[in-house]
Amino acid sequence: MFSPPIDILLIFAITTPIIGWFAERIKKAHMCGVYSSVGLLISLWYIYELFRKVASNGTQSYPSFFSSQLRIDMLGVFMATIFVLIGIFASVYSLRYLEKDTGVPLFHSLLLLMISGMVGTVFAGDFFTFFVFWEMMCISSYTLVAFRKQRWEPIEAAFKYLIMSSAGSATLLFGMSILYGMCGTLNFQGLTIALSNVGSNVWLYVSAIFILIGLGVKSAIVPLHTWLPDAHSAAPSPISAMLSGVVVETGIYAICRVGFTVLMGIEVQWLEVLAILSLVTMFVGNLTPLLQTDLKRLLAYSSIGHIGYMLAGLATGTVLGLTGTLMHIFNHGIMKGAAFLCAGMILYRLETREMKEMAGIGRKMPVTAAIFALSLFALTGMPPLNGFISELTIIMATVEANMAWLGVAVIINSVISAAYYLRTIKALLQPITKKEVEEAKEGPLVMLIPLLIMAGLIVILGIYPDILINFARSAAIALMGGG
Amino acid sequence: MIETPHYLAFSFILYMIGIYCLVTKRNMIRLLLGIEILINAANFNFISLARSIPSLIDPLALSIVTVSIGLAASVSAVAVIIIVYAYRHYGTLDVRLLKRLKG
Repeated sequence: MFSPPIDILLIFAITTPIIGWFAERIKKAHMCGVYSSVGLLISLWYIYELFRKVASNGTQSYPSFFSSQLRIDMLGVFMATIFVLIGIFASVYSLRYLEKDTGVPLFHSLLLLMISGMVGTVFAGDFFTFFVFWEMMCISSYTLVAFRKQRWEPIEAAFKYLIMSSAGSATLLFGMSILYGMCGTLNFQGLTIALSNVGSNVWLYVSAIFILIGLGVKSAIVPLHTWLPDAHSAAPSPISAMLSGVVVETGIYAICRVGFTVLMGIEVQWLEVLAILSLVTMFVGNLTPLLQTDLKRLLAYSSIGHIGYMLAGLATGTVLGLTGTLMHIFNHGIMKGAAFLCAGMILYRLETREMKEMAGIGRKMPVTAAIFALSLFALTGMPPLNGFISELTIIMATVEANMAWLGVAVIINSVISAAYYLRTIKALLQPITKKEVEEAKEGPLVMLIPLLIMAGLIVILGIYPDILINFARSAAIALMGGG
Repeated sequence: MIETPHYLAFSFILYMIGIYCLVTKRNMIRLLLGIEILINAANFNFISLARSIPSLIDPLALSIVTVSIGLAASVSAVAVIIIVYAYRHYGTLDVRLLKRLKG
């Protein structure tokens, strides 16, 4: 009904609780986790099939009832690959991470629903389909943040997240309604054609402001970012990795899609606005973590800084800048995902997120600490790792587009970010003071496997970035070429 | 005869009421009602703009509004669940007292 990858995800999301119910009867509770991971793998295979179809025949469309439709181009396939890839890592990791929790089948079902919502968002060809899948992603992410309902922190964070994010969704819907009133359609291509006849009109600006605010809440652009550190640090660690690595980037994707197709007529103005927002976002996102002592809050704040880098690439409005942004979305998903999963591993063994209390954990959990350090170096932008390549592409794009001040800001921010990332690594290597740390041992193998694969990807994509660059460039061309 | 600009003005006022509700109210249920008012402002805007072409109601707007009402209902269901748990933890519905997380 909605293209094979989403169908598979939805079928598995619906059947996972049933499998989980049977699995609990026969005392093999982690069977439903295995089942949902298999579903994600099958979905990844179908995305690969779609990739081959799109690469040879161009854009695929799947019309369905109520004039909603899916229109899959290279950009959609690119984003869907990241979502499902990080989803597999998070799903395999949760097999052991959630062993003490109740309601694990529902967790996996919601995780699959969130991923199918994100994949649907990037495959959507009109605003209606986009909004339905967007809300599906939002609602399941609220529930997942509040998953450990017996503690106060996730509940409070989820309430804050829910109020801010659904106000954002309502604002997005309001902006869509104004666009609909102007053009009588909500199809992205139809809107582009209709708006090129309208020209710049005051209502276009009004709807652009509403849509940018609505998407900005979800992608945590600075004046609207206050929910992010709470929600991302209170969620279970695999969900933090998903939220920080891919859900926030769905907002960036939406800004790309709406900006470069629908709002082409007023491109010059909104690119300037994005450049300013990017500068503010970067500085706030990199200066606040300097004060944090909570490991997951630190990582959550640094995500805001990385959103700033992505917006910097977007604000250039060139194919190179967009390539840099898309590459950074991919690399940030892997790097930040790995960092959050490592933080989750420490949390799993020590039950603490305070950096003081985990001093010296690197001596007891060498593999986790090594992968953590690797991902933090990649987040700083250290040369042989993947973060360097994408940040370099963004900086080159800003220089090429005569916005060198933005590139300089990215460099300054990388230096500032090194301060807190190195402080984190220092905390891992200090002499051991606590008895709990003395007794800690390396994490279980099931949780280490996704981390090792992610570490491998960080190094491989840093040394041989050609495949990723070509993939990102074809996605950027698919968007900019109007195709 | 009520013209389209009047409907637009009404939906903008409704939107502002929703934002005002979110900014000033302290009760969690009232915050949820603020969200509902915001979504209804957008729904109202869709319906009023669908009739801008005389003697034709666009089915697209109606289907969007129908689906959007359903989505709003599921958002409020999730919100009410979270509010119930928050009430069990804190014993109050006042968001001013939910300030253990630092901004």
